[in-house]
Amino acid sequence: MTRLSGVSPAELRPGEDAIERFERELGAVQATFARSTPETLARRIVEALREVGARHVGLTADLGGGRRALVEALRAADIEAVHYEAAAPSRDALRAMDATVTGCVAAVAATGSIITGERAGRAGALIAPTHLCVVERERLLDGLSQALRVIAGSGSSMLALQSGPSRTADIEKTLIMGMHGPKAAHVVLLDGRLDEA
Amino acid sequence: MSRSDDPLVGTGFRDRSRAQLGQPFLRQAIPRATDHTIAALHDRFADVDVAALRERGRRIRAETIRDLDAHLETLVAAFERNGITVHRAADAEAARGRIRSICSAAGARRVVKVKSMATEEIRLNPALAADGLEVVETDLGEYVVHLDDDRPSHIIAPIIHKTRQEVRQSLSRVAGRELPDDTAELTGFARGQLRDAFLSADVGISGANFGVAESGTVVLLTNEGNGRMCTSLPRVHIALMGIERVLPTLDDLAVMLPLLAGSGTGQLLTSYVSMISGPRREGEPDGPEEMHVVLLDNGRRALLGGPFEEALHCIRCGACQNVCPVYRQVGGHAYGWVYGGPIGAVLTPLFRGFDDGGELPQASTLCGACDDICPVKIPLHDLLLKLRRVGGGRAATRRERAAATFWAFLWSSGVGYRASIAVGRLGLTLARVLPARLRRGPVLARWAAGRGLPGRGGRP
Ligand code: SF4
Repeated sequence: MTRLSGVSPAELRPGEDAIERFERELGAVQATFARSTPETLARRIVEALREVGARHVGLTADLGGGRRALVEALRAADIEAVHYEAAAPSRDALRAMDATVTGCVAAVAATGSIITGERAGRAGALIAPTHLCVVERERLLDGLSQALRVIAGSGSSMLALQSGPSRTADIEKTLIMGMHGPKAAHVVLLDGRLDEA
Repeated sequence: MSRSDDPLVGTGFRDRSRAQLGQPFLRQAIPRATDHTIAALHDRFADVDVAALRERGRRIRAETIRDLDAHLETLVAAFERNGITVHRAADAEAARGRIRSICSAAGARRVVKVKSMATEEIRLNPALAADGLEVVETDLGEYVVHLDDDRPSHIIAPIIHKTRQEVRQSLSRVAGRELPDDTAELTGFARGQLRDAFLSADVGISGANFGVAESGTVVLLTNEGNGRMCTSLPRVHIALMGIERVLPTLDDLAVMLPLLAGSGTGQLLTSYVSMISGPRREGEPDGPEEMHVVLLDNGRRALLGGPFEEALHCIRCGACQNVCPVYRQVGGHAYGWVYGGPIGAVLTPLFRGFDDGGELPQASTLCGACDDICPVKIPLHDLLLKLRRVGGGRAATRRERAAATFWAFLWSSGVGYRASIAVGRLGLTLARVLPARLRRGPVLARWAAGRGLPGRGGRP
């Protein structure tokens, strides 16, 4: 239990289940939540991307050993799949992406957040209208203070904490999704490791 | 900044207020929007010991500011270790100069900006425009403010004073055709415009919500994601950071993030929190080649060790505006400078001098609602009282005397009746102004940590 438990709303309460809370908070920030095993991961991702009609998908390097299988599955489903870092230098390639798939450095159960590092690209999680993040089970942390302590030692040049899709309420307080970043944010909790996928 | 190049707008608080009070939309929009935020705030903090969290927040800010120079030294060293070029600017003119020369060295033509009160404070945009740069504000509200050559009227919600129709007109001018009267469509149009800007800009300019000393990190919060776009896609990133925004550790950040998001927008966390510790490194897929931090003093250091030091604890969440009965009636523009509401009434005379801002501390009922909501427990109404004394001693100008009768003016103007029921107190009772559910709820009492609501003792 983290030191701010019971004091900060960004921490788990004593005895609270991390996965249940994660799912609830993702719902509260208008992100979707699904669970998967390594065996079903590629199929799940293909289904989700088909559903939004994605044609050009960027996959980031933090998917590690799992990326190859995902790229193959997407191509087999007739969806163009590119490595984000290969596409990033071209503004046109960035513009063409209608979805990105990333891993994450950590996820925060209490706030429904994911944290991506530079390997996901600074803009990787928000350049396209749809973002799908794979969270390996062991990366799901209880609360914000624990997550910040874990990443404090990472020496990363950039860490991005995000909770749900991009939003604005600037016009008469009407909430609109997808102001600049994704209109839709999907999180898949993976019971296992990406390199098993 | 020399005063003459950036006069306060209008001829005094009273005149500016009169103009604002004449806008019926404004007088409905602000209470509606701010009530919404306050209600969300109390939902999010319903089952934690928020009084303890605020006390931690207060202590972090107080201890940091008390020893500001030492923390700044650590911060600067960590920034430099991370490959960030640090510049120190004593005043607005120096800060503008630094930013202009970075842009010119980068051969910049187009600049994208993230909403930042500090860049408003130094009036950066006109200076960049004068250099021939195309400046694009990328926060939706700020984009519209910029199109209209207007000023933001709330720290968090810059176009709280505009109707959808007004926004539609502004965006239709850009489009060269009539855009439909639909918020999603208007937003979608702006998304397209601004995406082009992100992808073609040479320089991205942001503020900094915090600078974390232990890790040398600029922390930037946006709900739209424009903060991340502006600092990831252009070749150069410049962050303008008020020197008081330092936090010693990431543990401190874990306290401040929910306090700021909760007070500002009623969220648990702001949707996008970027923690930027330097430019792109070898082998990374994207990010700026150069990163600069400009540390802005502009009157801040002068407050250290003095009676107004606590003004530097502010984390610019905007909550004190939301609950202020004066702000809720007159809006941000009435305060004449970039910061409105109670914190604006404190900062403006301190930063701009009493000639310009000396009347603003009068624009308060001293009801204490701001003290009770402030996430870092700044005693705003004590500061306002002290400022009245100092200001009164300096110069009881005609304008200040006029402002002192502001409440009489509100009464006589007819619109004031709803706002100004000063029942044997210095001003309003908060209970008249806050939405009913907040008056009743036990949560606000917990937030206020036993201070209780002013006016709850049986007064209406
Ligand atoms: S004074 Fe307090 S309530 Fe007002 S903006 Fe600053 S931190 Fe927020």
